[in-house]
Amino acid sequence: MIGFTTLENSGFLFNIYIGILLAGLIGIFVVSEKLKPYLSALVVLLVSLITSLIAIQGINSNGLEFLIPGGSFIGDIPFRIDALSAWFMLIINLTMITGVFYGIGYLRAYKPIKSIITLHWILLVLFQSSMLWVCMVQNSIAFLIAWEIMSLSSLFLVLFDHADSKVIKAGINYMVQMHLSVVFLTVAFIWVYFETGTFDFKGIDIYFGSNANLWLFVVFFLGFGLKAGFMGLHSWLPHAHPAAPSHVSGIMSGVIVKMGIYGIFRVITFLKADFILLGEIVLTFSVLTGLFGIMNAAVQSDFKKMLAYCTIENIGIIGIGIGVGLIGLGKDQNVLIFLGFGGALLHVLNHSLFKSLLFYSAGSVYQQTHTRDMNQLGGLIKKMPQTALLFLIGALAIGGIPPFNGFISEFLIYSGLLAGIHSVDIAQTTLMVVSVAGMSIIGGISVFAFTKTFGTIFLGSARTELHQEPREVSKIMLFPQYLIVLVMLSVAFFSGYFLNVILTILNGSFHVSMEVGNVDYLRYSSVLQHISLYSFLFLAGIGLIYFIRKSITKNRESTYQSTWGCGYVAPTSRMQYTGKSFTKPLSKLFNFVLIEKKNFNELKSNEIFPVSRKYSSSYLDFWEHWLINPATKYLDLFIDLFKFIQNGRIQAYVLYGIIFILIVFIGTVFHSSLQ
Amino acid sequence: MLSLVLILIASLFFTGIIIRTKSISSGRKGPGIFQPVKDVWRLFKKGSVYSETTSFVFQIAPVVYFSSVVMAILVVPFGSTKGIISFDGDFIFFAYVLALGKFFSIISAMDTGSSFEGMGASREALYSMFAEPAFFILMGSFALLTGHTSFFEIFSTLHLGSYITYALGIMATFVLVMIAMIENSRMPIDDPKTHLELTMVHEVMILDNSGFDLGLILSTGYLKFAMYGTLIANLYIGELSLIYAIPAFFFIQIAFAVSVGIIESFMARYRISHNPQFIFALSSVSLLIFLGVLLVLGKFV
Repeated sequence: MIGFTTLENSGFLFNIYIGILLAGLIGIFVVSEKLKPYLSALVVLLVSLITSLIAIQGINSNGLEFLIPGGSFIGDIPFRIDALSAWFMLIINLTMITGVFYGIGYLRAYKPIKSIITLHWILLVLFQSSMLWVCMVQNSIAFLIAWEIMSLSSLFLVLFDHADSKVIKAGINYMVQMHLSVVFLTVAFIWVYFETGTFDFKGIDIYFGSNANLWLFVVFFLGFGLKAGFMGLHSWLPHAHPAAPSHVSGIMSGVIVKMGIYGIFRVITFLKADFILLGEIVLTFSVLTGLFGIMNAAVQSDFKKMLAYCTIENIGIIGIGIGVGLIGLGKDQNVLIFLGFGGALLHVLNHSLFKSLLFYSAGSVYQQTHTRDMNQLGGLIKKMPQTALLFLIGALAIGGIPPFNGFISEFLIYSGLLAGIHSVDIAQTTLMVVSVAGMSIIGGISVFAFTKTFGTIFLGSARTELHQEPREVSKIMLFPQYLIVLVMLSVAFFSGYFLNVILTILNGSFHVSMEVGNVDYLRYSSVLQHISLYSFLFLAGIGLIYFIRKSITKNRESTYQSTWGCGYVAPTSRMQYTGKSFTKPLSKLFNFVLIEKKNFNELKSNEIFPVSRKYSSSYLDFWEHWLINPATKYLDLFIDLFKFIQNGRIQAYVLYGIIFILIVFIGTVFHSSLQ
Repeated sequence: MLSLVLILIASLFFTGIIIRTKSISSGRKGPGIFQPVKDVWRLFKKGSVYSETTSFVFQIAPVVYFSSVVMAILVVPFGSTKGIISFDGDFIFFAYVLALGKFFSIISAMDTGSSFEGMGASREALYSMFAEPAFFILMGSFALLTGHTSFFEIFSTLHLGSYITYALGIMATFVLVMIAMIENSRMPIDDPKTHLELTMVHEVMILDNSGFDLGLILSTGYLKFAMYGTLIANLYIGELSLIYAIPAFFFIQIAFAVSVGIIESFMARYRISHNPQFIFALSSVSLLIFLGVLLVLGKFV
């Protein structure tokens, strides 16, 4: 909290920002349908520009603060932008810019009614601002309002395809779960308010200073974890992401889940005690989250659902970093804090990059083929080579494979775990080693999952006849994806710069004091520089060997024939290995987590002339199947008991009114007579 | 630098020795130990047949696979001399660079659109995924034991002193040998000599490769074997001076190759459905090593 400076300048920028936002919202409403997308993109661009300026000031000046009058109820709303907020704001802005440009191209294929498209663009602009507010405001009530605008605007963005009942269902699921998250957050904030008497976030700081830290943190963690999608709290993700239009799923997966991570980080900045216990809890929970997420991702055949589960996996990896950092805080070891939190923060950026890239390229596939079932596709690399390449880059990066950026952040987290192995306590040593093993399995299954997805969608030959020949998507959809690749490569090859920013965040927002000249910092930044260099050499080596191969084989005779079919002369493309068959061995091994549901009529022994029949199989979500569905079922049964209250008779409703007034009246009388 | 040269030399004869051992134990004379290298040389000079279904992935994959293994070899040290690349946590880099090669070999198999190759790809991906935790727990235990996190520092400070550490050394050798067998698709995980596509793992993935590409893939296999052999040798040579270390290195490589040959002669491949269980059991051996390290360090109170 110390070191916040008020800059007149940034208040001025903030006013400009509000002006642009309001003008933009009205403008989008007014202008003709053809201009709406471009105006929205312009507004998003300008808003990003100005808020990024504010954010950069926040990083450089180590914390900005200004008050916005919030009326008599809330009082003055403090806007504080420290390096942590700024980091997340920059990530939001980057993803929003790519998202809005991709969205222009993506929505061209749709020609829905005018009102929907207006609402969509207005919501998109509002969505960006609400996320920025979440990062900036530090007053509980204002925070909850911003949080709610964020949830609702994203809800209506998800509901774009509102004629589809599945989309509506996914939307309701999302809405309910987001409000469950609000319930937890409200409870936590009220708790703080009753103990300290303030809605300002400084109250949380005071609370942690004088009370037990564990339980309040757990309530916050549940609230923010629902947004982030930790295991058990994740079940909205696999429904909402496939339902939303692809640019929205890209943004949601890229940044909205990160708002949960931001919340957790924000609470951690106030923590005072119980670090080690909390670190162990978060670490264990995160390893399980990662494993759960990637296992489910591996078996899904809906590729957007697969990406949604993969988001859960990456939240797990980020969580592992947070856990390591927390243990470091408890042990007062700057190395662990640096590697843990630093790795987590960098992975937040990395994941927002490659996950939005993957969602955009998957969206391009969906736009061209109108199916999300990868087992219907195949051979798209010939029709859509650029999309295939972009998806491949995203897939490699998300698996944490060098020479891409995912490796940098995963390497930091691995190093954190390895540095933590030397802790005195045997419990933590064991936990760290098990986490290293867990991360390696996550990496392994991730290779499995993405080779399957890429191979099934893009390689081989087409499995079914599509209604329309897929073509490469428009330039406006490809451009943002190339932009993302560029940023990804900059993280991979200039990691030192990003590490520097992260050090500023750690120094500014956490209880760390680590100079740029610190031994450990120098050690790891030089290691990262080495990795960048070797990755570059590696790429160069691949290029060189490819060149040699090319020049040697240039004059050799090469012929093209059909694939070796074991002598079978009438192969069809339906005989190819599908994504489902690719993952069958894995799903069989882990059938205690991956519940397969098969729909078919078994052939009876007396059925002499079997008719044609259908077979389908899908995978159920473990937590949804065993916890959430039974719980809602019993809740339904319980609530049914009170059905008689809502009986549809107006007389009864009038009676309820009278009873209510009577209770208020009698209550007041008794209350005053008691005094 | 030294390790690179030694691995290159070892890779020339390694597979030849395996084949020779197998021939002798089955009562045949067998080819000379440089026959595999001659085969590769012949392939390099040949033209290729490509599948019509394939794309650029198929063209680039063998190159990436080869480069990834070469890159991994650069990380491997030799006793008290560093590898060309050495930094803290380089074994993570080692594992993930190998993963890149694996990624490309899997998608190149899927690029042909053949059901057999898809099957092989699925198996290979599954097995190597299961082998990962065993390797990482092993390296984590060594990091705990020695206090370092790079291959070079771990191996050069690893002292086998007490009885427990001998047990650890034997178990670590076992784990590394088995990982080498998995990664190189040899018995008891995979039978390189099987002639039925349905029972192959690695062989079926490269059915459509020919000419230069096939040569590249085969030579990658030889390099990979020698690389794992060097890792095993590193467990033992530690601080030995080069005069003893280099003969010891070749002795260990040859012993490793002969034992692979013997295993392949006298063992049948496991049932495919039992393979994952077997590979996963390796992780528990690694965990035993970890417990042993805790014992050595006196962490059990």
